Amino acid sequence: MKFLLSSFFILFFATLPLLADDSLVEPKLFAALGMTKSQKASPIPTDSGVFLYDTVNERWRRFGPTIQQVNSLSTDPSNPENIFLACGNGIVRSQDNGKTWRMVTGWRESDITKIVIDPSNGKNVYAASAWGVTISRDGGDSWSAANEGLVEKFSNSIVVDHLNPKRLLVATTAGLFVSYDSAETWEQIPTTPKIAILGLGRNKADPNIWIAGTEGNGVILSSDNGKTWQSTAPGLSTANIYGVTTDPFNGENLAAGGWGTGIWISTDGGKSWKNRGKELPSQNITATTFDYAQSGRLWASTFEEGTFYSDDMGVTWRSDDVVVPGATGSILGAYVNDLGFISVKK
Amino acid sequence: MPFFSVFRHRVSATLFTTCLVFPLTSVAQQPSYLPPDSGEILSQYRERCDYVLSQAVTTTSSFDETQGDLFGVAANLDRKTNLEWARKRLRTFNEPPTGNMFWMIPMVLIMQTGRDTLNDDDWAYIRKLWKTYYPYRGDTENHWLMYYTGQYLAAEMFPDDGPEHWFNGKSSAENMDEARSYIEDWIDITISHGQGEFDSPNYADVYIRPLLLLTGWVKDPSFRHKARMILDYILLDYAVESLDGFYGGAHSRVYPRHVIVPSLNAINPLGWLFFGQGEYRYNATHIIAVLSGYTPPTILFHIANDRTKPYIQRELKRTRWRLRNAGPNSFEVKGKRTVPVYKYSYVDSDFILGSCQGGLLQPIQQQTWSLIWRGPTGSSNTFFGLQPHSSPFEGSMYFGEDPDTVTDLIARSKVDYDSEDKLQGGSPYEQVFQHETALIALYDIPKDARFPLIHTFFSRDLKQREEDSSGWIFAQGGPVYIAYRPFAPGEWKPVDWTGLLKSGAGGFVSTGFAALSEGSQSYASYERQNGYIVQIAPSREHDSFESFKTAVKALPLEFSLSPTPSATFTSLDGSELQVSYGKPPSINGNDVEYSSWKLFDGPFSQSERGSKRLEMQYDRERYILDFNTVTIEETIIPSR
Repeated sequence: MKFLLSSFFILFFATLPLLADDSLVEPKLFAALGMTKSQKASPIPTDSGVFLYDTVNERWRRFGPTIQQVNSLSTDPSNPENIFLACGNGIVRSQDNGKTWRMVTGWRESDITKIVIDPSNGKNVYAASAWGVTISRDGGDSWSAANEGLVEKFSNSIVVDHLNPKRLLVATTAGLFVSYDSAETWEQIPTTPKIAILGLGRNKADPNIWIAGTEGNGVILSSDNGKTWQSTAPGLSTANIYGVTTDPFNGENLAAGGWGTGIWISTDGGKSWKNRGKELPSQNITATTFDYAQSGRLWASTFEEGTFYSDDMGVTWRSDDVVVPGATGSILGAYVNDLGFISVKK
Repeated sequence: MPFFSVFRHRVSATLFTTCLVFPLTSVAQQPSYLPPDSGEILSQYRERCDYVLSQAVTTTSSFDETQGDLFGVAANLDRKTNLEWARKRLRTFNEPPTGNMFWMIPMVLIMQTGRDTLNDDDWAYIRKLWKTYYPYRGDTENHWLMYYTGQYLAAEMFPDDGPEHWFNGKSSAENMDEARSYIEDWIDITISHGQGEFDSPNYADVYIRPLLLLTGWVKDPSFRHKARMILDYILLDYAVESLDGFYGGAHSRVYPRHVIVPSLNAINPLGWLFFGQGEYRYNATHIIAVLSGYTPPTILFHIANDRTKPYIQRELKRTRWRLRNAGPNSFEVKGKRTVPVYKYSYVDSDFILGSCQGGLLQPIQQQTWSLIWRGPTGSSNTFFGLQPHSSPFEGSMYFGEDPDTVTDLIARSKVDYDSEDKLQGGSPYEQVFQHETALIALYDIPKDARFPLIHTFFSRDLKQREEDSSGWIFAQGGPVYIAYRPFAPGEWKPVDWTGLLKSGAGGFVSTGFAALSEGSQSYASYERQNGYIVQIAPSREHDSFESFKTAVKALPLEFSLSPTPSATFTSLDGSELQVSYGKPPSINGNDVEYSSWKLFDGPFSQSERGSKRLEMQYDRERYILDFNTVTIEETIIPSR
C-alpha cells in the first residue's frame, strides 16, 4: 500500500492547486469555528468564523468575515482565489482571495456542513448539509437540491473523487452513498453500515484509501477506492468518530478521533492502531488532520480545550492557541467544526 | 387608582371582580359579557397606544446614554423627543452590535421612525452597521422571520443599492427578493399545515414583532396586506385560547419562570394592548405595534374577551422541522419533515385546560398540557405535569449539532434542559388524552431513560390541597376545583429540588426563580409505568368543595400499569374515556379521529386543512382571511 513520495507529489499538486501556478499557491491550515466555551446562558456564540494558521509566526489569525457557525471551507483547485465557506447561514463565497465576500445561497440552503469543488471544472460545486446535498453548476451563483436516491438527507461530509470528478461520496445519517453522475443520482454503497457517517476522507498519497468515522461504529476503511469498506480500529468499534484523516505524505498513516476517545493512530494502513494523546486536556476530539505542508505533523482539535499538533505521531503535543494582542477573536476554547487544508494564493 | 385599571375594559373588570367572589360562594353564576361597540373598542385601544408612547418617552433617561433600548430610541425619534440622547444611544448600543436577528428588528424600526429625524451622520453610521455586522439567521422559524423581515425592510429603504452596501454581499433587490420569498413561504406553510413554533406564550411575541413591522412599513400593498392578514391570524390563534391575557393550553415553547407564573409571559402585555386585558407591563412589542399603526380587528377583541359559554377548541399544528430521527408519523413539506400536533383546549370563563397528544413534538421547551385559571398578575395560577426528558436523539432531531455535544449546547441557553427538575419539555414516553374537563396521561418509561420519573406541579396558590384516602388528590385553584388521581404513589418535593434554577444558572431563564417557585411543590413519582387522571370543574358548578370531591370519587375508574399503562374513566360529564398506551384513545367506545382535525375548529374560528382560509366568527360578525385571494372579507349576517 505504500506509495512513493514522488507519486504523492504528483497527486498532491494535482489535487490542490490543479491549474494554478504552483509557485503562487501554498497549503494553509484552517480551523472552522462554531463557537467557544465562554458562551454561557446564551444561544449566541462568543466567537466564530475561520482562522488560518500562520506558520511563520506560529499563530492563528482570523480570515474572512465574522460569521457564526462556520462548519468548513474549501477553495477551487483551479482558481484558489475562489473560496467557499460552509456556514449555518448558507454558503459564502469570495472570488478575490478573501477581500470581499458574498452569501451566494438563498433561504432554501442552510446548515451547510461541507463543500467541495470539482477539480476539473470549478463550475461544479457540491455541498453537504443538514437538508441534503445542494449543488451548483455555475461556480456558486445558483444552487439546487440533489438528493435523488438518498435515504436520509442529513449529510455531514462530501468528497469528490479527484481522479474521476463525476464520482462523489456523501456521508449521510443512513450511511455512505456514491454518485457517478456528478451528484445527479445517488446509490448506497452496499458494504457500509446503514448508520450515520460523521466524517469522511480520502488519502492523497494513495487514492485507493478512504476512511470514515461513524456514529457508534467507530472507523471504517476502504482500500479499493471506496468500493468496499471494512471496520478497523477495534478499540473504537462503538465510538462516535468525528475526525478522520490520512497522511498525504504516507498512505500508511491514518488517524481518527471522536468523543471520549482521544486520538488513535495507525502507521500500517489500519492493521494496528494505538491510542495517543492521553495528555491532551480533553479526549473529546472534534476534528483532526495531517499537515499538508509539513510531513509527519498531525493536528487535532479537542472540544473547547484547544487545538494541538504533534510531530511525533501523537506522542507529544503542542498548542499555539493564544490570544494575539490586537487581533479580533481567537480559537482559544473553540468548538472547531473542521480542520483541514486549503490552497491559498500567496 | 393604578393606571391599568383605567384601561381595563369594563368587561374584564367585571370578570375580575367575579373572580374574587367565586371562591367565597357556591352560587352558580353565569359569566356575563356586554359587547362594547367598535367605536369604544377602538377608542380604548388608541388610549392604550398613546400611553405606550408616552411611557416610552417619559421614562427615557435622557441624561444617560448608556440606558434604554433601541425601541426607546425609535419611540423618541418618532416623537422627535430626546433626540440627542437617541443619537448617542444608537451608537453606544451598537458598540459592538449584537443579537443577530433580534438586533435587526429594532434597527429597521429606528430607520423607519427616524426617516425625517436622523441626520447624515446617523445614516452613515447605520449604513456602516449593515455593511460590517453579519447577523446570523438562526435556527428557528421565529429567527428566520425576524431576520428576513429586517433584511427586507432595510433593503427596501435603499432599493437601488448594490451588493457593496450590505453585509451579505447582495444587492437590495436581491435581499428583498430572498426575504419576501421566505416570508411568503412561511406564511403558506403556516396556513396550510399549522405553525411550527405554535402557541408559545413567550415566542408568539417574536412572531408578532416582525409581522407588525411588515404590516406597518412594507411599501408593496399586496405584501403588506398579506403580512397584516397573517398577523391577524396569529393573534386569533392567541385570542381563541386565551383567558384575560393568559395563553392557555399546550404550548410549543415555554420557560421555567413563565410556566410557573404565567403572567410573566411576553404575550400577556400584548393581551393588555390589543384586548384590554390584564395590566400594563413594558414590552418592546408595544412600541412596534403603536408605531406601525396596526389596529386589530374588533372581532378579535370579542373573541378574546367573551367567555360566556365554555367551548372546545381543536387545532392542528406541526412540529419544527426534523432534520434527523423524523419517525414514521412524519410527513414532508417542500423537502422538510414534520409531524402533526393535535391540540385540544377546553376554554371556560374561569380556566383553560388544554393539551396535545404527547411525545417529542418540539425541542426542549414543550408543554404537553396545562391548566390555567383566572388569577391575578404574579400568581402561580397553573397546574401541569410532565415526564422530564433530555436526549441527544431529541436534540439531533431538531438541531444540526453532533450527538455528543448537542445536549450540552442546548443547555448553554436552556439551562434546565438536562435536569430532572425541569418544568417543561416533551417526552417520547408519554401519551396524553383530553376530553372536555378530563385528562388522562399515561407514561411508559424504559429503564435506561435519562430521568425515570414523572412530576406534577402543585402551585403555592392552590387552596385546600388534600390527599384523599381514595387515592385522589384534591385542590382548588382560584375559581377551579382540581382532582388529580396518580396511578402510582409519589412524594412531595419542593419545586427546583436540585437547586439548579434556584442557583441562578441560566441568566434570564432563571432570574428570580427561587422567589417565584417558593412554596410550590411537585408530586414526583418514580414508577416507570405510570399515569394519572385530571378532572377539572369550575367551582360555580358545585355547591361546595366537598360536593365536588364526592362527585369525583364516585366516578368509575379502572386502570392498570402492566404490561403497559391503560385507563378507563368516566368523567364528570358522563363520558367514558378509554386509553391504552400506544393506542388511539376512545370516547364512549369511539376512537378519536385525529386525522380529520382541522387547522382551527371551534365556535370562533374555522379553517380546513389546505384551504388557506380562516374564518373568524363572533355572533353575527364574520371576518375571513382568504390567503388564496389575499383578501379580508368582513360581513355581518343579518339578524332574523
